Amino acid sequence: MIDAATIQTRFRERGFIVDESFATALQIMLALEKPLLVEGPAGVGKTESAKVLADALDTRLIRLQCYEGLDAMAALYEWNYPRQMLYARLSETDRSSTEEREAHLFSEAFLLRRPLLEAITQDRSPVLLIDEVDRADEAFEAFLLEVLAEWQVTIPELGTLRARHKPYVIVTSNRTRELSDALRRRCLYLWLAYPTVAQEIEILRARVPGLSDRLAQQIASMMQVLRGLALQKAPGVAESLDWAMALMSLHRDHLDAQALEQTLGCVLKVHEDRAIIDVHRADLDQTLNGAPVPSQPGGYSLDTDFGIGTVSTRRR
Amino acid sequence: MYPFASLPDNLIAFCDVLRREHGFRIGAGESHDAARALEVVPVASETAVRDALRPILSRTRHETTVFDRVFTEFFFPGPEDQEQIGIPPIRRELESETAEDEQPSESKRPGAGGADEEAGPDAQGEVSPSRMTPAPETAAARLARISYSPLRTEHVDAGPELTPVDAAWREAARALVHRLHLGLSRRWRPAMRGRRFDLRRTLRASLQTGGEPLVARWRSRPRRTPRLVLLIDGSRSMEMYSAAGLQMAVAIASVTLHVDVFTFSTSLRRVTDDVRRAAAGARLRLARMEYSWGGGTNIGASLHEFLHRFGQRGGATRNTVIVVVSDGLDVGDPTLLRDAMQTIARRSAAVVWLNPLLETPGYEPTVAGMRAALPFITTFASVRDHADFARLSQMIRVRG
Repeated sequence: MIDAATIQTRFRERGFIVDESFATALQIMLALEKPLLVEGPAGVGKTESAKVLADALDTRLIRLQCYEGLDAMAALYEWNYPRQMLYARLSETDRSSTEEREAHLFSEAFLLRRPLLEAITQDRSPVLLIDEVDRADEAFEAFLLEVLAEWQVTIPELGTLRARHKPYVIVTSNRTRELSDALRRRCLYLWLAYPTVAQEIEILRARVPGLSDRLAQQIASMMQVLRGLALQKAPGVAESLDWAMALMSLHRDHLDAQALEQTLGCVLKVHEDRAIIDVHRADLDQTLNGAPVPSQPGGYSLDTDFGIGTVSTRRR
Repeated sequence: MYPFASLPDNLIAFCDVLRREHGFRIGAGESHDAARALEVVPVASETAVRDALRPILSRTRHETTVFDRVFTEFFFPGPEDQEQIGIPPIRRELESETAEDEQPSESKRPGAGGADEEAGPDAQGEVSPSRMTPAPETAAARLARISYSPLRTEHVDAGPELTPVDAAWREAARALVHRLHLGLSRRWRPAMRGRRFDLRRTLRASLQTGGEPLVARWRSRPRRTPRLVLLIDGSRSMEMYSAAGLQMAVAIASVTLHVDVFTFSTSLRRVTDDVRRAAAGARLRLARMEYSWGGGTNIGASLHEFLHRFGQRGGATRNTVIVVVSDGLDVGDPTLLRDAMQTIARRSAAVVWLNPLLETPGYEPTVAGMRAALPFITTFASVRDHADFARLSQMIRVRG
């Protein structure tokens, strides 16, 4: 059984810095064989963590990307109908009996495995990543619950397939809608916040070799300030890595007002956010000059209305 | 220092505190998982135990923060005489089923135990292991408590009458229900006529024609129809107006089953069954409505109650159109209303707020309650008669 410290080292070897609570959550997930629901703002490494976990456990990663309209068949299996039809045509002149032909027509050769079926037919436990489950609709969520509880799939033509090795499941959500309580009950829960300044420096060091200490410190503090502002699209860890790479390629060893202006596109992805930055210019300049950052880990809160819409007022 | 000597007992007591004082949903399964988790982590390390229990016992981001504080207070309590900082309970603790409907004033008291009767709202959510088993309450004390309501008016009106609606109302309701749809479902369903070829069923059908796929089968995307939830303010300031709201509810109930009706003032009451009976032709008064009819309005608390009692059980999903009929004159805390409206907006397809004051010339939605709610409203209008109601269907926009 892997303990939390081992998970931390193995993740670190792969350039992914996890804090103790995340490592313990992963350990518990492996021990209890329950799915782990990871929520958090975009760009904190929810999806990446599943990839690294698969690599660390030396097993396969199977990914089910959820989207609106995803249905059970697209997640489980489908028959390859065009091939089946073609085969039926070609085998018409065979001398084989109807039973034989039918058995062959509905054999595994014509089965298209989709992620969930793939996950339960592995020879060793894979890591199953169910990404952005909040994008699928509630009906799919209910179906998912059934699969996560039973770990078996019934295909009428083939019979029931039961998982020999339970997959380790990581479910991610961006909170674009509320998940059902039933799904939450089935899962362990982890809120993944933005990293603290110290953690971010560590991440930058691990992922961008050759980055100067000063630059790492500056980027991490700037990120902390930027995430505290009410930006439409707050920068995630991916953005700070991009930024570090960009500054490195410009041969900068520190961040100043000019470099900031040149590379702000790595960090800000929405035009309106520029205006907000300009308002808070003074704060940013202070941070650039090494002023201490008010340390509030994950100071950014997810209090948007998720674009629910404008108010219309009726007047006579 | 701990309430019990052994670790499992402490764990169970801890789960109990989370469940009872903070509204966590912890069942036997979670307790069992927690015990199993403690077998695999070093129990001597505080952070390891904390990190191991947190993913198991909490379910939302808010619960994780509450968990951390309760964990500290339970396992590392301060000096006994020191007052502990109250933590707001997540869900209001609901009393037994009978009390829940008939005595709404009681369900407004989180952690209602006999001990903190006079301690007031500051004591709510206070955690200390010694309070885990509240003193048994005598029947007389309980009766006195549940029949007292500080906000209840002296003269209690009989509930408003529910009457069957005439054809004009029904026609307007039919138009509303017909017009309101959430676009097409993303799922493809077998259909007589459709836009996509259904290979699977075509192949199946070909068995009847000797393997020749003669009859084509199709799939199409069905229309998604929303559920309607009406929340009608029954406070005194709304007396003139709530009748129209109830008429609307009866009219909608007479054309669709996908509707739920609640009334609220200081707390919430579900009246769907009464409304359905009225829609079927019965004339009845809303029975024993004195608690939610004719008093001050605590809109925020009532909406929270709706979310906690019904919203999480599928009462509010992305297929729900929520209609609030209220003047927005709220005696409660505006932030409470704001939080509730934010959640409602997130868990619904549209939020319609019908405010009678909008008819008044020069009215601006500036009362604190209305201001708090406004950012989350998709349609803001008023309905006085069936003509207004007929127009309403043109105005509601839903997120597809």
